[in-house]
Amino acid sequence: MARINDVGGTQGFGAIDTADDTEPFHADWEARVVGLFNTLRAQGIFNTNEFRDAIESMPPAEYLAASYYERWFTAIVALLETKGVLEPGELDD
Amino acid sequence: MTDGDRFPPGTRVRTFPHDPAHHTRLPRYARGKRGVVVEPEGPAELADISAQGRGDAPVEQIYAVRFAARDLWGEGDHHVVLNLWESYLEEDPDRDR
Amino acid sequence: MTGEHPDATIAQRVRRLETLLEEKGLITGERVDEAIDAFLASSSPANGARVVARAWTDEGYKSRLLADGTAAVRELGYMEGSYQRLRVVENTAGTHNVIVCTLCSCYPLRLLGPSPSWYKSEAYRSRVVREPRSVLREFGLELPDTVDITVWDSSAESRYMVLPRRPEGTEGLAEEELAALVTRNALIGTAAL
Repeated sequence: MARINDVGGTQGFGAIDTADDTEPFHADWEARVVGLFNTLRAQGIFNTNEFRDAIESMPPAEYLAASYYERWFTAIVALLETKGVLEPGELDD
Repeated sequence: MTDGDRFPPGTRVRTFPHDPAHHTRLPRYARGKRGVVVEPEGPAELADISAQGRGDAPVEQIYAVRFAARDLWGEGDHHVVLNLWESYLEEDPDRDR
Repeated sequence: MTGEHPDATIAQRVRRLETLLEEKGLITGERVDEAIDAFLASSSPANGARVVARAWTDEGYKSRLLADGTAAVRELGYMEGSYQRLRVVENTAGTHNVIVCTLCSCYPLRLLGPSPSWYKSEAYRSRVVREPRSVLREFGLELPDTVDITVWDSSAESRYMVLPRRPEGTEGLAEEELAALVTRNALIGTAAL
C-alpha cells in the first residue's frame, strides 16, 4: 500500500483551517531547520528525493502527529544517520 | 527516451498499477488510471531511483497528463493534471473502445 | 518525536544537531544563517504579483508567460539558477485552476514566498483533488457549475502558478497598482480577485 504522505483523496481529514500565516516561520527553530536542510543539500550530503523518501518513511502515526518542520527535522536526522554522519542515537546521547 | 516524442499531446495513456516498496511520484489515486497527455514537461532524473541515493538514476521525459475526475473517483466534473515520468505510463491498450 | 528524551524540546534538539554538525566541521552557524536569509530574500508573493500585473498589461508578455513560464519570469529576474520549470495556468470566465502537491508540499516558492500552513495540511492535500468545489467554498470562493475546474497536482519538477482574472474596473490602474491587488491565494487558485 502507499505511504502515509500519499494522501490525495483520503477521507476524514476534516475542514481546512484557511487562516493565513503572517510570518513564514512560527518559531526560530523552524528557520534553523530550513537553513540546515539547504546547507546540507547544497553540500551534497543528500538530495531532495532522498529527503522526501526519509519523510515518507516515518511511521504513519509519527508522521501524522508531527508538524511540517518536525518532519523535516526527523528526516534530516535519519539521513545523517544513514549516511554515517551521525551515529545512531548520537543526537539524543 | 528523453526527447518527449513517445507520447505526443493527445495520446491516451494508462498509468501503471504498481505499488512499489520505495519512493515514487505516482500517487495511489492515479495508479492504473486512464488519462490524456497534455504535453511533455521536460526530462529529469527518475525520482524513484534518485531517492535511493544512487548515482545511476535514468533521465526520463516527464509528461503532464490530464485525468477526468470521473475516471479517478467515479464521480465529479473536474479534471486533475499530474506530472508523470515516462516509465509510469503506457499507451492505453483500450484506447479504441 | 523519538521519545528517548521527552524533556528535550524540538528547539533544543535542533540546536543540539547544529552544534554536533559544527563540531564535525560540516557546517558553520554563519552558513546556516546565510541559507535562511537567501531563502527569505529570494521568495515573495510580491514576485508572482508583479508577473501577473505585467501579463495583465502586456499581451505579448502574457503570451510568452503562458507558452513558457520559466523563460518569461526570468525576463523579470525570477527563478534564475533554478532547475525547476514553471507553468502558468490562466483562469478565464469558463475555467478555474487550483494548485496542490498531494505527495508533499511542492510550491513555486520563489514566486509565492513560503507556503501557508493550510497548503501543507493533510486536509487541503487530500481533499482538493477529490472535491475542489467544496474546498474552494471553504475559502469563500463559490464557482458557478458552468466553470470547469482543473486541479494541478505538482508531482514532479514543474511548479504551477495561477494567472487570475483581472478584476473589473481596473482599466485605469498602473502596473504597480495592479500588482498590489494580487493576493497569494489568487496565485494558488483558492481565491479570485
